[in-house]
Amino acid sequence: MGGKTKSWLRLSTVLLLSLSVVLGGCGSGNGNNAATPEKKDSAEQTTPGTDGNKVEPFEVSVFIGEAGQQPTPDNKIYKKIKDELGASFNFEFLAGDINQKLGVMIAGSDYPDMMTGNTKLTAAGAYIPLEDLIEEHAPNLKKHYEDYWNMMKDPNDGHIYILPNYGVFNGKLNSSWYSGPAFWIQKAVLEEFGYPKVKTLDEYFDLIGKYKEKYPTIDGSPTIGFEILNYDWRNWGLFNAPQHLIGHPNDGGVVVKDGVAEVFANKDYAKQYYQKLNEMNAQGLIDKETFVQNYDQYLAKLSSGTVLGMFDQHWNFQNAENSLITQGKDERTYVGLPLVYDENTKDHYRDRAPLNLNNGFGISVNAKDPVKILKMLDALITEDWQKVLSWGIEGEDYIVNEEGRFMKTQEQRDAFTDGTWKLANKADAFFGFAPKIEGSFSDGNATDAAAQPEEYKAGLKEYDKKFLEAYGFDSYVDFFSEPPENEVAYPAWTIDLVEGSEAKVVNTKLNDLSTKFLPKAILAKPADFESAWSEYTAEIGKINIKAYEDRINEQIQWRITNWSK
Amino acid sequence: MDETLAKKRAVRNPKRGKKQPITWNLIKNQKQLIMMSVPLMLYIILFAYVPVWGWTMAFQDYKPAKDFGEQAWVGFKHFKFLFTDDNFLRVLRNTVGMSLINLVLGFVTAIILALLLNEIKKVFWKRTVQTISYLPHFLSWIIVTGIVATSLASDGIINDLLMKLQVIKEPILWLSEGKYFWGIVGGSHVWKEVGWNTIIYLAAIASIDPALYEAAEIDGASRYRKMLHVTLPGIKATIVILLIMSIGHILEAGFEVQYLLGNGLVVDWAETIDIFVLKYGIAQGNYSMATAGGIFKTVVSVTMLLLANWTAKRLGEERLL
Repeated sequence: MGGKTKSWLRLSTVLLLSLSVVLGGCGSGNGNNAATPEKKDSAEQTTPGTDGNKVEPFEVSVFIGEAGQQPTPDNKIYKKIKDELGASFNFEFLAGDINQKLGVMIAGSDYPDMMTGNTKLTAAGAYIPLEDLIEEHAPNLKKHYEDYWNMMKDPNDGHIYILPNYGVFNGKLNSSWYSGPAFWIQKAVLEEFGYPKVKTLDEYFDLIGKYKEKYPTIDGSPTIGFEILNYDWRNWGLFNAPQHLIGHPNDGGVVVKDGVAEVFANKDYAKQYYQKLNEMNAQGLIDKETFVQNYDQYLAKLSSGTVLGMFDQHWNFQNAENSLITQGKDERTYVGLPLVYDENTKDHYRDRAPLNLNNGFGISVNAKDPVKILKMLDALITEDWQKVLSWGIEGEDYIVNEEGRFMKTQEQRDAFTDGTWKLANKADAFFGFAPKIEGSFSDGNATDAAAQPEEYKAGLKEYDKKFLEAYGFDSYVDFFSEPPENEVAYPAWTIDLVEGSEAKVVNTKLNDLSTKFLPKAILAKPADFESAWSEYTAEIGKINIKAYEDRINEQIQWRITNWSK
Repeated sequence: MDETLAKKRAVRNPKRGKKQPITWNLIKNQKQLIMMSVPLMLYIILFAYVPVWGWTMAFQDYKPAKDFGEQAWVGFKHFKFLFTDDNFLRVLRNTVGMSLINLVLGFVTAIILALLLNEIKKVFWKRTVQTISYLPHFLSWIIVTGIVATSLASDGIINDLLMKLQVIKEPILWLSEGKYFWGIVGGSHVWKEVGWNTIIYLAAIASIDPALYEAAEIDGASRYRKMLHVTLPGIKATIVILLIMSIGHILEAGFEVQYLLGNGLVVDWAETIDIFVLKYGIAQGNYSMATAGGIFKTVVSVTMLLLANWTAKRLGEERLL
């Protein structure tokens, strides 16, 4: 009897499960299909956006090369787009491995109307060239991309296939968030010494040394002066600082002067930095374990609040900082400092984001009516639509104060961080990859709510308000100099070294040597530093650095000829 | 298990050393067997022999988008690059070194654990020990290396323990010294795989005729004597077969452990052939070089396997082929 009940139970469970799967499948299928035909009538209305023409509804299938969530069927922004421009989107998000998915798509030439950028798809001829279509049908897009037109062209055949989603700026660059490289220091250290302005490397280590002496432990754990992360591909903590210290922006492994690139790993200005680290290590300021730790251990140390400083890119230790904030240790979070060797050098850490090539939407060869899609995109790049896509609907998602500045109530602010709310009220899946205006609108408001200075200030914590007041800054970005216009060929690190070429092999070897010899040099006794350094440079001398520099220089020249306006 | 195999052999009764002539009659008689073997043959041909065609890549400058006819043939260029690189001997030494350590440690610990487990009479304890010791097998290396790195940190459990026991005064940075690295890799392998590896020995031990133990007991053999003269000889065949197979894998020192635990300070001891091939082959889009590395490994494997097998045969042991 017992056995029988059990097997019945099992059978019914299995049945129930399979039923739920089947039903679940039906459910979502219906949801997708139902969303489109229902609202046909409302779409027939005329709208000002299309010069009084009737809006014809059409469907656009979109492949997003990233994992994501389907917006709700009644999403208000998509509804607005459908009502006013006629387009309704049918998203397919990436599930699993991008290369596998693309392989299948390419093998069957099975492309939706729009696809996010990928060089594999370009190579397979999956996108249509857009330059003539834009000239003819999309005046707003043409104006939007005017200054960047040549950069967008594919280096191989000169066509424009993809509309970059980021890197096109307009007006004053509002930014309250710096995600790039810097020497980071705990706010508590600056607070302790009366908010000094730190400009040089020496001053920086001086502060860290003094603080560590005064507070040998933080919350019971030993204070760590400085961390250098060099783990797997996260190697900039060790490699990249010298170029910034002489006032250059991030070009990867080279410094570009007047359009000529040179590898800096073995130069004297690099030696100066590593020698400084060597001295600091002798003073016990550098974490003993710094070169053996993995990324998780690094984050764990930062999250404990005992690390006073490090050279890193902000996004790389974002999680640690979030954890510090959650723990309520606001004074242990970090400020980025654009350090240089001497007072006279102007810092160039912060840069204007370069055009995000090979990212954004392209229109596929399978699209039935590319002109219609392009016209829709053209309408969406106008300021009114950009405001809707970025800020939301006036009155509902943001408010405009007497001075015409866009603001949010706390309730609206909270909603914007709520993922579920966003699925119903924001068009993020589309907007993330769509062409967009960055910087400010013609009325001076920031294109991104987070970058609106008033908004940023209102969201600040007490500790940070006090901290910024002491410096007289609006945001932490003000520690950095205003970024100048980029050089035409900037940044050199996006240059493709070409798979299997000598340049790429040399680059790998150079990284191998730096990974091996720099820690040795830094950990050596100060008296032995010279010999460790000359051993390192001698090894570099053995590899064909020139092949690497030549490739970079050749591409820089190519960019200068083809990208100049 | 041995018994059933022996029975089957008796039924079919082929004469040793003499080949049965293949006749239509024989084929007809065995047609069910032949039919049954067809899918497996297809499977082997498709997945083991057809890919060997890909070895041609090692002699070309292979470019993925081109047809076979359009590829440029370059002879032994990639083998030359592989064998003449300064690092090659070093990575070969590391690979073989770590592999041997893994092999010896793996065998010795697994056999000892199996013998010890066999002596536990309480089933509950036996099962408990077994389960705990083989659970780490199911962790992936990324997790295990994380655990290892954390345990070996300056404030990790290993240093804490040694300091408390007054063995050392200052914490040792285990992962910063090349001389410790092979040992750490060997130790991690033992921790992860020892329980799993015992399973097959325990199975072999279970098949030993209990009468042998009884006989030994009557002869006055102690527990250790029985282990030495009954259990160990009883599983000798299993050990030899497994050893032959492992020797074939001598160039498979693993990749994840060294890749994830290695750092600039120990790179001279940590880099294996696999890492080298990944860095200078696959990561560079140089699939030809990667294939050349693969061929090298396969050739060494087959040679070692045949050598080990031949040695076993000479020593009158059980063998694979």
